[in-house]
Order: sequence, then C-alpha cells, then structure tokens
Amino acid sequence: MNCRDAVEHLYEFLDKELTPAIEREVRDHLEECQPCLEHFDFEQAFLKFLQARCRARSAPPELKRKILHELFDG
Amino acid sequence: MAAPTPPSSGSSAPVDERTAGFEREALVHLDALYRVALRLSGNAADADDLVQETMLKAFRAWDQYEPGTNAKGWLLTILRHTFINEYRRRARHPESVDLDAIEPFAVFENIQEEDPQGRFFDQIVDDEVLRAIDALPEQFREAIVLSDVEGLSYEEIARVIGVPLGTVKSRLFRARRVLQRNLYKYAVDMGYIKGSRT
Repeated sequence: MNCRDAVEHLYEFLDKELTPAIEREVRDHLEECQPCLEHFDFEQAFLKFLQARCRARSAPPELKRKILHELFDG
Repeated sequence: MAAPTPPSSGSSAPVDERTAGFEREALVHLDALYRVALRLSGNAADADDLVQETMLKAFRAWDQYEPGTNAKGWLLTILRHTFINEYRRRARHPESVDLDAIEPFAVFENIQEEDPQGRFFDQIVDDEVLRAIDALPEQFREAIVLSDVEGLSYEEIARVIGVPLGTVKSRLFRARRVLQRNLYKYAVDMGYIKGSRT
C-alpha cells in the first residue's frame, strides 16, 4: 500500500470500518511511513475534537415534559 | 422522569407493555434526536417541533418496530423524512451545491510544520464548531451529524439516509475535509495559528 491509498482509507481506518485485511495493510504502511502516521494522528485529533465539541448537548427538559405529556396523558 | 399513566380503557396489559417498551427503547434517544433536529433545521423552535412530531409518529408506528433492533436508526429515519417533507422548505439552506466540485483540501499538508498534532483545534469553542457545521451544505452536514455527533456506523448512516455505503464513505470524507478547512481558516483568522499563505 502506498501513501495515496493509505490516505484514501484514512477515515475508514479511524472509524474502524475497514475489513481486517485492508486494516492490516494500512497498519503495515503506517509502521514504516512516518509522514502518514503523523497525518493519521492529526486526523484522529480532529475527530476527537469534533466529537468532544458536539456530543454534550441534551434536549431541553421542557421538550421532554411536553412529549411525555402528549404521548401518555393525551 | 414521571411514570406514564396508562390509559384506563381496554385491555391494559399490552398497552402498558407498548408504552413501557416505547419509553425504554425510543424515549432514551430523545437527546440524540434533538441534536440532529437542531443541526438539520437550524433553530430551536423547529427542532422542538420536529422532535415532537417524530416521537408522535414513532409512537403510532411502534408496532412496526422490531424490538431489540436499532431504535436510534429507526427514529432518525423518521426524523429525517419528517424534516425533508415538512421543514426543509423553511430551513436556511435551500442551496443546491455541486458537492463533487468541492476540492478536498488537506489541512495537514499546510500545517505539518507548525502544528502537526492539531493543538490549534483546542482553542476553538463549541459554538464556533456548531456554526461551522451549520454552514455546510445539507448533505455534508447530515453525514457529519450522524457520524461524528451521534456516532452511527457507516451502515447505519446508509440506512438512515437511504444511499449506498460507498456514498456514505465519500460524502463523509469530503464533509470532514471541508469542515476541517473552514475551521482551519477560522483559526488562522483568529490568530490561533499562523497558517501557510495560500
């Protein structure tokens, strides 16, 4: 696997969506290619950052009450 | 959370079970539905309505749901259909963008000398990230929200959106690259990083 192929599979690799065989190939490439490894680390940091910024919000309590009322008391 | 009062009429046992099942399997995803609704519709009032309508539709159709399967995906599919059919016209993004014309730009190549670990991301606050997501074309926004905000697998996203797995992969790839580029530009504008002259 060359750098281009590795980067093409970058997000699939980080999302753990690759087949074991291709994942192995990416891993082998990263072991011997420092620039790609740094690129993958950078993208992983980006995804972690995104998730940390976006996952915390919850629905307003008022909305929960309204829905419960509508569904079960109506 | 208040326990629901079961309807007094009819044979109550199956109704109770239905209600309890809905609470256990569907209502627990309320926060997720709200987050997606907020990003799709772009405002809290529409998000409220959209989630309420989704829950009502889901409750009515609850017999069609197979217990123990993917309730979150099932609910998100209903929410998405409701949004497209009833809200999209009013949403802020009636754009039609040629997504294939958007050049995927690799921020890493511009920044590998200055900040290869992406520390500048840490300086960007929640609201700014959400604003950047909201500014994406709808198909990109949807992919990011389902994947990075809600943690769905590619296959689940494909089912919710109703597109092939390959489309999810390429859309998510481009969506993340565009979002990353926009956040990078923001960070350069704010002076969090020098960035490279392009």
